[in-house]
Order: sequence, then C-alpha cells, then structure tokens
Amino acid sequence: MDIHPDIERVIVSQQVIQARINELAAQISADYAENGQLVVVGILKGAFIFLSDLTRRLTVPHRVDFMALSSYGQTATTSGAVRIIMDLRVNVEARHVLVVEDIVDTGYTLHYLLNVLRTRNPASLRSCVLLSKPDRRKVDIPIDYVGFEIPDVWVVGYGLDYAETHRTLPYIGMLKPEVYK
Amino acid sequence: MILEEHVDHVLIDRERVQTRVGELAAEISRDYAGVDDLLLVCVLKGAFMFLADLSRRLTIPHAIDFMAVSSYGASTESSGIVRIIMDLETSILDRHVLVVEDIIDSGRTLDYTTRNLSTRGPASLRICTLLDKKERRMIPIPVDYIGFEIPDEFVIGYGLDFVELYRNLPFIGVLKPEFYE
Repeated sequence: MDIHPDIERVIVSQQVIQARINELAAQISADYAENGQLVVVGILKGAFIFLSDLTRRLTVPHRVDFMALSSYGQTATTSGAVRIIMDLRVNVEARHVLVVEDIVDTGYTLHYLLNVLRTRNPASLRSCVLLSKPDRRKVDIPIDYVGFEIPDVWVVGYGLDYAETHRTLPYIGMLKPEVYK
Repeated sequence: MILEEHVDHVLIDRERVQTRVGELAAEISRDYAGVDDLLLVCVLKGAFMFLADLSRRLTIPHAIDFMAVSSYGASTESSGIVRIIMDLETSILDRHVLVVEDIIDSGRTLDYTTRNLSTRGPASLRICTLLDKKERRMIPIPVDYIGFEIPDEFVIGYGLDFVELYRNLPFIGVLKPEFYE
C-alpha cells in the first residue's frame, strides 16, 4: 500500500481496522439482539466512514442518524463547550441509542453529548468509538465499545482530518510533525 | 446473503456496487487530475455510505463537506425548494465541487440544490449519483457520473431507507410492494 508523503507511519492499517470493525459489529449485534428500536448516531464529520463500515455489518435492525457539533474555539484542543450545528431527526425517546464517534481525546465533547442525549429519555445510551487516546482523557466517561487505544500523536485518515485533508485515507496514519508545525 | 423480511429481491449486489464505485472513483480521479481543491459535497442522509466508499478510492486530494435539507411539505414539492437544515461548513467560492448523491428521482430537489450552490461561485460544479431513475425525471439535470440506471422501483439499502430502516444493507434491494402500497 502506498503511504501518503505527509504520513510518518501507519498507526492502524486498513486490514486491522476492518477486522476490528467486524469484531465490534458482532459484539454490538449480540448485545442488542433482544432490544428493538436501536438508533445509531454518527457524529459528523469524523465518524462517517467508521459509521458506514460498522453499520453495514450490524445484523440487528437499526436506524441511522447524524449530529454535527462545533467547538466554539479555533484551537486543535477540545473545548468542553460544543454547539449543536445539526440535531437528530429521529426522536430517541424510549429508543436504544448508540453514539458512534471517530475519536475520544479529552472526553469533554462526548461527555457533553451523552448528557444532552440522556435528557431525551432514551431506553438506553451507549457509546462506540474507533480510537481512544487514554493519555489525553480529562473526564471519566464510560465507553462501551472501543476500537483501538492509541498514543497521543496527531492521527489522520479513516474520517479524521488535518485542516480538512487526509480524511478519507483508508488507514489511520500519524501525521509528520513538519506538516502541522 | 440473508434477505431481510422487507426485501423482495436484490437489484444490485454488493460486489457490483463495489466494482462500480471503484470505476467511478477512477474516472473522477482522472477527470480531476491536477485539481488540488476538490470538494465532495454530500447531501444527507442517503449518500453517506456511497460517499464513504467513493472518497476512500479517490487518488486525488479532496475535502468532504455535508449538507442537510428538509422539505417544507407537500405544497412546495413541485418546485423542489427545500429548507437548508445544515449548510456547508466551507465556502465553495472558486472551488471545484462535486455533489455526491445516492439517487436522482424527479430531480427537483437536486436542481434546486445545485442552483443554490451555483450562486456561490464555485470554479466548477458537477454531480455524481449512485442511482438514477431516469424515467422519473421531471427536470433535465446534467449528471456527470452515474453508478447505475435503475427502473422505477422502491429501492433500499446502501444508504437508502424505508422508514429510516435498511440504510445499512450492503446491497441495493427492492422493497416488497405490500409495505408501501
């Protein structure tokens, strides 16, 4: 596989991602086998590729919906306060909700989002993230399904971007420091 | 392949979808060779899966953005005028824009959407759709990339839904008539 010249090294290869998504999908399908009315909520933009691969492998019926959030700040560090740019179309009251995120860093955004969704009285509320950076965590949030724990490096691909570039690489790569410094 | 209870038959199987998406990606990559600011615009929700597969196979640099629209109700159906629920995050002034759609039917909404985008002064504006129901067309729209021309049947899967279900099927299926008649 050709590696993009902006990429220092591959953190998670395409094959490893796909194999792990198979496992996650099997686990989620088993866990929700007895539950009806599952709504899988993808957080834009970053989660759209993960969501599209995960949802295809789920064997339980479910709805797909999206939310778009925006931080108030311009910096790359995650702020706790987020603005809901686009809310869900589906009413999640009394439904089982699974939030799908590309990456959890400090956890502030996901923490906030789960609190927001909880006020809508879902039957249950869980989260599934492809990547977790435990070293960066500031808020203790339970994450029900984690794809990979990764070190605190700047990653792009598979939904994650650097200034809107490299978002659609089929693997997770570490960006060369000279690209963002 | 397990057919879901609502699926009458498979119209386009997974392999054909994936092969055709690969062909489209190669064609788009050739046509936009040398362009470094291509923007793929996805109109939610239906096109997310097509977008995820198509964008990963492009060999040219590109960014992704999303729009969400909602109809005002039956009274404006013939004009195609829709309400923008979520607008693009990026300005498309002087950029090359490729609108990625799941399906084109009457063409009214797409016609309105592309006229809206044209007013923003993109360098170019093209349309890529996975499915085209030509016989339903009410407004002539130049479509640059077409995955499959399909008959006028109720199709689900690969992003397309029936009451928000079945978006995740990896193939394009035809809904059993008893569910919508």
